[in-house]
Amino acid sequence: MAAYTVPKAFPTTVVGSYPKLPSAREALRRQRKGGISEEEFKKLVREAIRGVIEDYIWAGVDILSDGEQSREDMVVYFAERLRGYAPGEWVRIFDNVYFRKPIIVDKVEWVSPMALDDWEYARSISGGRPVKVILTGPYTMLEWSFDLHYGDRREAILDLARVIRREVDEYLAKGAEYVQIDEPALSTRPWREEAELAGEALEVIFRGVSAKRIVHICFGRIERILPYILDYPVDQFDLEFKNSDFRLLPYLKEYGYDKELGYGVVDVHSLQVESVEEIKKAIDDLMKLDIIGPEKVYIDPDCGLKRLPREIAREKLKNMVEAARLARREWAGEE
Amino acid sequence: MAKFWASVLGGYPRGRLARYTMRDLDSGALEPYRGLVELERASALVVGAQLASGMRFVVDGMLDWHDIFRPFAEAWRNVYLDGIIRYFDNNFFYRIPVFRGEPEPQRLVLPGRVKGLKMLAEPAGVKVVVPGPLTMVKMGRNESDLSDYELVDKIASALALEVREAVANGAVFVQIDEPFLSDPEASRDDARAAAEAASRIAREAGTALTALAVYFDTPKPDIYEEIIDSKVSLVSLDVGDAPARAIGLLREKGCGGHGLVLGVIDARRIHDDSYSNVREFVIKALDACRELEEVGLTTTTWLDLVPLRFSLRKTYILGLYTERLAADLGGEAVIPITAKPEPYLAG
Repeated sequence: MAAYTVPKAFPTTVVGSYPKLPSAREALRRQRKGGISEEEFKKLVREAIRGVIEDYIWAGVDILSDGEQSREDMVVYFAERLRGYAPGEWVRIFDNVYFRKPIIVDKVEWVSPMALDDWEYARSISGGRPVKVILTGPYTMLEWSFDLHYGDRREAILDLARVIRREVDEYLAKGAEYVQIDEPALSTRPWREEAELAGEALEVIFRGVSAKRIVHICFGRIERILPYILDYPVDQFDLEFKNSDFRLLPYLKEYGYDKELGYGVVDVHSLQVESVEEIKKAIDDLMKLDIIGPEKVYIDPDCGLKRLPREIAREKLKNMVEAARLARREWAGEE
Repeated sequence: MAKFWASVLGGYPRGRLARYTMRDLDSGALEPYRGLVELERASALVVGAQLASGMRFVVDGMLDWHDIFRPFAEAWRNVYLDGIIRYFDNNFFYRIPVFRGEPEPQRLVLPGRVKGLKMLAEPAGVKVVVPGPLTMVKMGRNESDLSDYELVDKIASALALEVREAVANGAVFVQIDEPFLSDPEASRDDARAAAEAASRIAREAGTALTALAVYFDTPKPDIYEEIIDSKVSLVSLDVGDAPARAIGLLREKGCGGHGLVLGVIDARRIHDDSYSNVREFVIKALDACRELEEVGLTTTTWLDLVPLRFSLRKTYILGLYTERLAADLGGEAVIPITAKPEPYLAG
């Protein structure tokens, strides 16, 4: 594998999902209809992953993802591969967009690696750039499923955490450097007891993990949950800022934030491409607060890019990378 | 002897027909008139389910509403829609209504719907739901020169017009949804503004029943004090989400002379609700508000957060438990389909 040096200051990354490329859409469509072999599915998905990685490299992103091309949805994908889940029916997410909200009907158990193949493939074509392992967290898995088995949220979340930890072990054995757990549901219930519950689950997932441990949270009242999560066993919080107009920034200062920060500077819900200047200003605003140094700041979008047209996603990433480059020169004297 | 009646809180999820129709309407593949016909067919299913389950008041299912704010925001001048953002603690997103000035209705949303539903709903009454002005401001963005509370007042005016015409066209129950009042960030001033706005809307409802509905959680006691100051006929509370707090609130503060609607059927989960739990909630609520002569039972929130199949099942459970409760507690269930027919139906 070719060597790639991730910049020390303001490395750029992505949160995970990328617009579904045509071959991935075809693979998923045929999979829903039951008309595709596993080999064919994998082939089509790999073609899509290749396109995603090419886009990332074209834009200049440092730390990549596989673009979640084989994932119909961040919860359904894993639910379909765990024992204890039954298929769900359509529930609306917004406008006329739906997901098949899965149902927990028995104790959840890990069966076999769920996303390892895509990650390994992405890694094999990334030109040495690290590829994040990105898994949906136990709190979100439960919140966005119907539970007909446990009845007890803590029990369910901890079982899901053990399942996810089992999955994480697969990647660690292959040398994963970055492990990101997505917990978007956490910001919807910004209460101490909820944060403690999710924290307990993260202890299970990250205990003894030497790879970079990241939790991604977005779209909610992050500022309210922030004080309760600062002692989570993670190296980095990856948070949405742009969509909420950087409302969160002063709270980082107020709560004495000192972990690494995945700094969401690109709005994934807007078709408007942020200019380099706009993104650079967002980075400047963070640095002027003097909370953490440039080596602790990872520049990325607010969340996954899957809802955007591919061309818009590419342009957003390109401008983001350029803004990070300018900020790197200004704030860290690095090219 | 208490009377018991049932009505679902709000909208239904889209089944396949409604999903495909909305998709084809959005893409322009379906003419608006054809779309309307298809949506009426989809709506008839959920109206039928409500009637068959003994609902006293029925809704049309709001199947074409992408979210509770959208149809109104789209019908008003000086309001545009921005990106999507999460709706309370649900995995559901709405488009942010952005107010650039006073909302000015360009057309009315409800009257035509009521007219279409009235015949189908017989002998049940037609219920309409409007977004609470405070929730709309708090969940929206105010880019106007008005203060937030001034904007609440202006939205109330626009909605009052909707309600007046809806009632004139046959609506007999008007529900004003203020879920923001259950939010920990809601202040007493917010609650006062919401209560005044609800009173203003209710004034235009004439003889129709009016309800101020708060759900997703239980409001704080100081917020509730303002809620029961509003000039609406009924207060609708989500009991199922946090029963101990909801019952505690009723014990502490009573009903303020209002009728009560209790959200007892869990509309965010798919298990069959326990009858003994529902019975316990209702007994405790009635004990806290002894002056009540009738009580409405409903779902904890709109049913559009569960798949269609389960929304129909929950509707049935709501009706079934209402009847059982009335029998168990020595009361009377108000079920339109078995009530004395309207004179013209009796021939």
